[in-house]
Amino acid sequence: MQFARKLPKTDTGVDDGIEIRIENLSVRFPDKNSRATVDALTGINLDIRRGEFISLVGPSGCGKTTLLRTIADLQAPSEGTVTVRGRTPREMRLQKKFGIVFQSPVLYDWRTARRNVCMPMELMGLPRKQRTRTVSEMLDLVNLLGSGHKYPHQMSGGMQQRVGIARALATQPEILLMDEPFSALDEFTKEKLNEELLSIWSIAKKTVVFVTHNIAESVFLSDRVVVLSPHPGRVSAVVEIDLPRPRHLAVRDTPAFGALVSRVRNSFEGV
Amino acid sequence: MNAIRWKKFFASPKWVTVVWVLGLILVWEIGATVVAGVKRTPENVLPHLYQIIGSVFSSQKANSTQTAIQIVLSNAWITLMRAGIGFALGAMAGFMLALLMSLFSAVEKMIFPYLMMIQMIPILGMAPIVLAITRDIDKSRIVIAAILTFYPVATNTLSGFKAVEREKRELMFSLAASRYDVYRKLLIPSSLPYLFTGLKIAAPMAITASILVDTLQGGGGLGCMMSQSLKHAMTIYVFWQIVFLSAIIGILSYQLMAWLEKLVSPYRRSGGDFPATDAKEPTP
Ligand SMILES: Nc1ncnc2c1ncn2[C@@H]1O[C@H](COP(=O)(O)OP(=O)(O)O)[C@@H](O)[C@H]1O
Ligand SMILES: [Mg+2]
Repeated sequence: MQFARKLPKTDTGVDDGIEIRIENLSVRFPDKNSRATVDALTGINLDIRRGEFISLVGPSGCGKTTLLRTIADLQAPSEGTVTVRGRTPREMRLQKKFGIVFQSPVLYDWRTARRNVCMPMELMGLPRKQRTRTVSEMLDLVNLLGSGHKYPHQMSGGMQQRVGIARALATQPEILLMDEPFSALDEFTKEKLNEELLSIWSIAKKTVVFVTHNIAESVFLSDRVVVLSPHPGRVSAVVEIDLPRPRHLAVRDTPAFGALVSRVRNSFEGV
Repeated sequence: MNAIRWKKFFASPKWVTVVWVLGLILVWEIGATVVAGVKRTPENVLPHLYQIIGSVFSSQKANSTQTAIQIVLSNAWITLMRAGIGFALGAMAGFMLALLMSLFSAVEKMIFPYLMMIQMIPILGMAPIVLAITRDIDKSRIVIAAILTFYPVATNTLSGFKAVEREKRELMFSLAASRYDVYRKLLIPSSLPYLFTGLKIAAPMAITASILVDTLQGGGGLGCMMSQSLKHAMTIYVFWQIVFLSAIIGILSYQLMAWLEKLVSPYRRSGGDFPATDAKEPTP
């Protein structure tokens, strides 16, 4: 597999190990009911390291999705800047450096699993042979090689979400942005996919920004958990997760895990 | 038939159709019997169904050369061809306009009110105007069928473009897809069900319209024969045959669109699992 990462070049030419730098970021929306504005995010400062698995966790409405969308250039900042490898999010998007996984699978229902995974590569104009090979690799990665011929309506929610992940990885993006990808799934499927995601991450070594409202999930997956609090959306804590890797589901029964979950839970303000 | 098969039959929607058809025949026949008792020429008002069916197989000439059914079928062909051409032209124009309206919102704002207005003019009012402009009954038939097709196709396709979920568009955006690719890979395929809804509405309408235009002037076509038959220039059973044939053609035209839709969208064909012949899929 071609996951070998090119050495990144920043504008200064110095590799400081920072993948995404968020400085003094604020995002405001006009309020529907009044003239006032909603502060979705205020004064966010955050550095995300290269290759790091980072989670944004918080109750709904605290601005997790907005932060993710701002990194992906789907939302413009009201104030402050987001820098990705020394470049603007827009430049990175145009170079197709982001792989995005949404909460719903967002599959094209007229395409089979294979053709869904293939779609981004068609846009890039890659030759068919390469596309076919990469599609198989990606489906293999998410354990769906045998289901490539299925249409979305023939697959379970978990399978659909795995196709979505395979599609996000198909363009070999530098950064994987995931917005509550497993929150619509049942507990068993979610746990299985959590483990799968970690093994994919250990192979692919992408930088992952993972949004969730599930504290245990964020602790299990992440190198660091960023705790967001609402009204206005802000960072109230960043918790280092020093559990050893590779991690398996059993780690959740250890006292260290429980302690970390408590630390994250106690970091919320004004909820 | 055993009990299980009966159960299956009543669980399927088929029996609804059967009940409807039987009910219709019953009402028709009661009506025909009543009419036969009070009118001197009941076939002008409501003949029995067996009389109409009988007239289809009758070898009696309805004019100098043709039997009733021969007249009906040869004229049906004329009407159907014109309706078909008009339908195809109208569908293409409607789709193109929907594309334009979705590409440029200014076009939508400018044109949509006129679309609504054209739609509100009744065919019977529009037909003489079109005839006066084209001065040709054949062209009028095509134009009217096209106008009637145009509106449902354009509006349905446009709402299909608009119904695409935000996240599907954002996925394209995040992949820096060109506008052309967004339409080709996302908007057009996902609006196909809407397009076909428009086509299914339009197809029977185009045929009805074409028949109506026929009645304006001689020169053949089902509508023309209908009015001649009603004026007793030929047997009244030509009229009754046309009534039934038009209904059948209308239903078939709808079915044709439904069949076409299934043909171009295999992913909607079934609820069940596809045969597991995965490995050899030609395009990835
Ligand atoms: N497009 C928008 N227009 C107006 N308000 C928005 C928009 N997107 C998000 N918001 C508001 O910003 C706040 C944060 O939303 P969001 O980022 O979706 O939170 P989360 O993903 O954590 O649930 C919420 O109060 C929400 O109502
Ligand atoms: Mg959200």
